[in-house]
Amino acid sequence: MELAGITKRFPGVVANHDIHLTVRRGTVHALCGENGAGKSTLMKILYGMQKPDEGTITLDGEQVTLHTPGDAIARGIGMVHQHFMLADNLTVLENVVLGAEKLHGIGGKARAKIKEISDSYGLGVRPDAMVEDLGVADRQRVEILKVLYRGARTLILDEPTAVLVPQEVDALFDNLRELKAEGLTVIFISHKLGEVLSVADDITVIRRGTTVGSAVPSETTPKQLAELMVGSELPSPETRESTVTDTPMLTVEDLKMSAVDPDGVVRDVLGGISFTIRKGEVLGIAGVEGNGQAELVEAIMGMRPLDSGTVTLDGTDVSQAPTRKRREDGIGYIPEDRHRHGLLLEAPLWENRILGHVTEKPNSKGALLDPKAARADTERIVREYDVRTPGIEVTAASLSGGNQQKLIVGREMSHLPKLLIAAHPTRGVDVGAQAQIWDQIREARHEGLAVLLISADLDELIGLSDTLRVMFRGRLVADADPAAITPEELGSAMTGAASGHLEHVDEQEEEGGDDA
Amino acid sequence: MRRVSTITVAGVTTAALAFTLTACGESSTDSGGSKDKGVGLAFDVGGRDDHSFNESAARGLDKAEKELKVGGKMMTAKNGETEAEREQRLSSLADAGYNPVIGVGFNYKNSIEKVAKDFPKTTFAVVDSIANGSNVASITFGEHEGSYLAGVAAALKSKTHKVGFIGGVQNALIQKFQAGFEQGVKDTDSKAEIRSEYLYTNNDKGFNDPAAAKDKAKGMLDSDIDVIYSAAGLSGNGSMEAVAGKKGAWSIGVDSDQYQQPGLEKYKSSILTSVVKNVDVAVFDLIKSVQDGKPFTGEHKYLLKDNGVSLATSGGFIDDIKPKIEEAKKNIVDGKITVKTSP
Amino acid sequence: MSLAKKFDKNKLILGLAAPLLAIVAAVAVTSVIIAITGKDPFHAYQVMVDYGSKSDSQVWIINKAVPYYLSALAVAIGFRMNLFNIGVDGQYRIAAFFAAVVGGAMTMPGFIQIPVIIITAMVVGAIWAGIAGLLKVTRGVNEVISTIMLNAIGGSIIGYFLQDGRLGKKEGNMVHTPVLPDSAHFFEIPTQPKPIYGFVVIAAIAGLAYWFVLNRTRFGFDLRTVGQSESAAAASGVNVKRMVITSMVLSGATAGLVGMPTLLGISYNYGTDFPVGIGFTGIAIALLGRNNPVGMALAALLWGFLERTGTQLEFEGYAQEIVGVVQGVIVLCVVIAYEIVRRYGLKTQQRKVGEELAAQARKSDKAEVSA
Repeated sequence: MELAGITKRFPGVVANHDIHLTVRRGTVHALCGENGAGKSTLMKILYGMQKPDEGTITLDGEQVTLHTPGDAIARGIGMVHQHFMLADNLTVLENVVLGAEKLHGIGGKARAKIKEISDSYGLGVRPDAMVEDLGVADRQRVEILKVLYRGARTLILDEPTAVLVPQEVDALFDNLRELKAEGLTVIFISHKLGEVLSVADDITVIRRGTTVGSAVPSETTPKQLAELMVGSELPSPETRESTVTDTPMLTVEDLKMSAVDPDGVVRDVLGGISFTIRKGEVLGIAGVEGNGQAELVEAIMGMRPLDSGTVTLDGTDVSQAPTRKRREDGIGYIPEDRHRHGLLLEAPLWENRILGHVTEKPNSKGALLDPKAARADTERIVREYDVRTPGIEVTAASLSGGNQQKLIVGREMSHLPKLLIAAHPTRGVDVGAQAQIWDQIREARHEGLAVLLISADLDELIGLSDTLRVMFRGRLVADADPAAITPEELGSAMTGAASGHLEHVDEQEEEGGDDA
Repeated sequence: MRRVSTITVAGVTTAALAFTLTACGESSTDSGGSKDKGVGLAFDVGGRDDHSFNESAARGLDKAEKELKVGGKMMTAKNGETEAEREQRLSSLADAGYNPVIGVGFNYKNSIEKVAKDFPKTTFAVVDSIANGSNVASITFGEHEGSYLAGVAAALKSKTHKVGFIGGVQNALIQKFQAGFEQGVKDTDSKAEIRSEYLYTNNDKGFNDPAAAKDKAKGMLDSDIDVIYSAAGLSGNGSMEAVAGKKGAWSIGVDSDQYQQPGLEKYKSSILTSVVKNVDVAVFDLIKSVQDGKPFTGEHKYLLKDNGVSLATSGGFIDDIKPKIEEAKKNIVDGKITVKTSP
Repeated sequence: MSLAKKFDKNKLILGLAAPLLAIVAAVAVTSVIIAITGKDPFHAYQVMVDYGSKSDSQVWIINKAVPYYLSALAVAIGFRMNLFNIGVDGQYRIAAFFAAVVGGAMTMPGFIQIPVIIITAMVVGAIWAGIAGLLKVTRGVNEVISTIMLNAIGGSIIGYFLQDGRLGKKEGNMVHTPVLPDSAHFFEIPTQPKPIYGFVVIAAIAGLAYWFVLNRTRFGFDLRTVGQSESAAAASGVNVKRMVITSMVLSGATAGLVGMPTLLGISYNYGTDFPVGIGFTGIAIALLGRNNPVGMALAALLWGFLERTGTQLEFEGYAQEIVGVVQGVIVLCVVIAYEIVRRYGLKTQQRKVGEELAAQARKSDKAEVSA
């Protein structure tokens, strides 16, 4: 497969321009680049979801035009999306045959075919399990099987490891090697260098929408690859000296919250959470998404009512206080989903600067807004936090993700918070902005800020945190010292396999201590 | 981008349409002549072809056009009109030189009183209401008396001894129909059950909502009522449609002889009779009075004895009970029975 | 920065494009419709312009526009909050009814009587709308459904009380509440040949207040925030539930004013002939005016103009329904035109931002290479 001179223009985001990519049959080809470098766009072009403005795609020596994913599938190209596209209330078999009933029917023949594919690539899929009962890794295998079932000879995997813990990643890589051994081609998109180097045969690096080079894994170090990706020296999230003090800033005690899930079953989403964050401390919470982190944040912010428990901020019990009061009292909030919780996408930047701090200076005087001062302060934030924008009257929607995030960070920091809740602060943010955001968190911590950091990026967590906790099914099940823990060990606790105090062990085993 | 300023610009341009016109000081009535153009007829909601009240008035004008050789102009009201619109309609007509100007429907009462003052040389008339003014004629009818006869017919024709009344809007005028009908039924068959319902309590849409009347009638038919009298203008068509769908059930029409109306042809086999309100006669009389130079003013009542109201016999469905109806009519005309005007 | 200037120029062009597009499209569609009915569209426009520009027409249009404008304001308050208050119609009617009852039952000097009537109307309207707000936050009832229901319930309540012997008095075929004393007559602006009703002043004040509260106060910011993104508003500390109730109450209170020009300036009572449907007209005008206080004022005047001249069109032999068609076409054209222009503007803006950033990136790349 060969792509030549692919160019795609898009409003607002980095465009693909002049992409060149050659993939050999029967190999795992990694496509890596920072978030927002244009990898996903390229793959959408390859899968027929988008048409390139310029350039050609050649498959086995034949130049093709892919109008729809249907065209791509017909030519043996299959895609496993970052977000799975499975129907929860159907079985694996039903999900696989859904939309491909013509191939092998929906009965015994289909089941036999699924079994055959599953066995030959070691996927270990059970055709009659309900998808809703499966874990993330199993669902991913179903997605892969779905693509193979439709006769794909080339698989595109878009950030397949983002949702997996390290052990699951290893299992996935074993599957990929099986596929390769059977003569299939895998295009693997990732920005995680270690993974790329361990599984790929060839590597192509994309930066700012264009291919900047290729590498052979055996001759490349992670550092070299990173520099190729970033175009400069790689930033590191590591914090140096400890700034942790003895003064508690945030204490939460025995937070409990239950919710009714779509099936009508009452479930504990927070099952008695207690912790303390002191001034100058960054408390990192690790965990697979959906284990109660979002609810914990909303509980501390006062956005969702608690069943029981107390939240104490700087010595004052704020458990009953409304969200606005908590924010006025000094909680800064970098939300997980900035489009839903952090921005008014259709409003100009200066109005977004007011958002969340409408009662505070310089945004208002008494009950009246002070648009002039708010505008001036927005100009300052744009300058100081390097928000790349032509002006403060443009809508937030027209900024790129990283610049939106910088605006949010700048806004929250401008009110000198006592506690910063940062949920995935660098998700979907380009590398330059990532480094800046880390710097700002570190700087504020130095000045006595307490930070609650929630992240799926284990390197970020380990690098920034003073204390680490692992959240699993609504409980804090383990804690660890970031100075002496590896992402793998943390990952094990995230699946619930280990609990208590995690000690770093030099051998390959992890061990759960008794108590925190 | 700030949307506000975009809109401001937008607004200003839109305004051009409205405001370039705000330049001069000439009033529309200044330029109007007072040539005699004929009759100005302003309808109530439902329009000329309501098969009922408006149509009857229009027939009066048609007759006048033929016999008196006068021209005319007809205009229709919309649902949910305000006073301002009615005033405008009347004064437009008067201003254009139409004389007399007739407001068909009690809604025109206030507007006629107001506009009549501005055009003292024009004769105004309002149908179904009493309006004051030296150049205003008020035409009212004995609906209660006609409805009494309908009640007699309904009571005699009902096999289930259950009859229904559907009023368009619960106002004093329609209550007159209801009162007369109920009294007629009770006086004829003391055991009969009467169900009287209204489409709307105070929304004139009730005269222009056949679907609502249809639903109402269906409900009545389902509870064994087999004669339904609808006093609801154009809405009555809906109830006739429903009644026609049930074998053995009768509907009683209102205002015009609805059996004769082409628009209701499909239902005519179930239209027992109609309480005819001879609006056409009244309108014709009024036009003639103006033509003769002796325009009507003040109150003009068209009762049973004046042939202002009557029971239609088309179709011959009530021929068998004619003597009883004639008897009732005689009693009313002679004053032996006084029909109530409110229930 | 040259880029900023370019944005301004674009803004101006876009600002003019929307209304021009809308008007051209509306006139074109209307002309086709009139032509299909076999009439001359240009003569129709001439009739409309001629008749609409007469001085009495101007007065008529302004008087007609006042309640429309107030109704549009009430609807717009909801719209800015992403609430669809369809119940303005019921709210103003029930408000006017009880205001008429209260006003008819007392005789006070005007400076007490009039405010009491107006405040009664606003309170009743607020309560009526507040019920829908309360149902939404406590039971999750969609406000569209509840306000429609409340319209019907309000109509029935009025129907119940507006009967002879209850709160109404019979006069001929009409029943109305006791007539307000002379002291409750609102002032008029003496113009020739007919006066302009003084309530136009209140309408202007209401428009100004609407603009000020929404754009210049913290409360207004919170309200707009909820309208743009409920989740972001909650995260920013707005109590969304309370805001829903508050805005419904405000919308209802404004709706309470809708019936006042009629009650205090024309009818002096609430009778069976009290105008209905202004609340729905308000929705169209709020759409047309894009929730902007000036835009809605112009839209209300345009509406009045069309209604005034529509009757005249009927006089000239055009179908009466033409005006209804024109009104519908205008609203559709405006909504579509603004949406097209808004999307186009957003796209251009995003592309500009993207281009600028790409240019910066390329520059820095080159710098790196040469270094």
